[in-house]
Amino acid sequence: MSLLSALSISASGMSAQRQRTELLVENLANSDTTRTPEGGPYRRKDAVFAADPSVAQFSSLFDSEMGSGTGVRVAQVVTDTRDPEKRYLPGHPDADQDGYVAYPRMNPAEDMVDLLGASRGYQANVSAVSAVKDMIQRSLDLFR
Amino acid sequence: MFQTLALNTEHYMSLLSARQKLVASNIANADTPGYHTQDINFQAEFENALSGQTPAVTEPEGLAVKPDGNNVDIDREARLLAENALRFSIASNFARSELNSVKTAIQEGKSA
Amino acid sequence: MNISGLKSSLSQIQTDLPAPAAPLQAPTAAGTSFKDILSNAIGEVESASNNAAESVQQFLSGSGEDLHSTILATQRADLEFQMFMQVRNKVVSAYQEIMKIQM
Repeated sequence: MSLLSALSISASGMSAQRQRTELLVENLANSDTTRTPEGGPYRRKDAVFAADPSVAQFSSLFDSEMGSGTGVRVAQVVTDTRDPEKRYLPGHPDADQDGYVAYPRMNPAEDMVDLLGASRGYQANVSAVSAVKDMIQRSLDLFR
Repeated sequence: MFQTLALNTEHYMSLLSARQKLVASNIANADTPGYHTQDINFQAEFENALSGQTPAVTEPEGLAVKPDGNNVDIDREARLLAENALRFSIASNFARSELNSVKTAIQEGKSA
Repeated sequence: MNISGLKSSLSQIQTDLPAPAAPLQAPTAAGTSFKDILSNAIGEVESASNNAAESVQQFLSGSGEDLHSTILATQRADLEFQMFMQVRNKVVSAYQEIMKIQM
């Protein structure tokens, strides 16, 4: 049934945007982290989305036609591989022998903008759930 | 006798449901690299009363493609979301009215 | 929906007659018998009821049937049934009128 599949699809959208938000928030929180368990400064992370056809199937073989609506999932979490930013701070505990400290290569402004985008994306999926739920209830009205 | 009662309205509601599912898909994939907006040719599918099960999925034209290959226009999807829900609501009222008319006609016959 | 109950009501009407079902099979002005009218009506109710049951089954098993389609199918079956009840009532009262005349 199309409408119930639509709910699953929107739910997957909410989940993906939430995961993306968590990564962006982690980035912002760690913009000055010079020391991590893996060694070296914190590296920025981001989520890569991919369409997920399995979400749209409401336990039915008929719904699984190509392109008849797909959900979304986080296919990968990519970690920034660029060289860290070096700042000259000789007294810093993490300074190397030349007095440079490796800082995360970040652009907080960019992350803030992405965070707003993820939030709006999440909200759009919430609106979709609301609209679809309304349609299902209007279907039930046919009983009256 | 009543197998075709409200049949057109039913078909209309089915198409709206299918379209809304694609809108949900577009909204969920608004940030998916390479994803293209999906839709159905509503007018054609509705006029073709014989189209039994699922309508054919098409790609609307004229949508701007972002650098990552995604062409979802969130404003377009938000508009369609509201429009489909509203049309569905109207159709539901219409179907209910068709059913009630027949019910009244049957019950009026009681005293005839 | 108890179709078998309706069928037994129909056969009850037939067996209650002194003459062997003659009035029921007597042609009405339109040329069809009361029995035919009732049989047709039952047939329609049965078919609508089967449609509705199948629609519900398809919806529940998730094989693509929309909720509004299922509900409309059940509502159509309900209307068929209501129609049948009216037809049955009319046939029974017409039959009773005929029986009065024959007395």
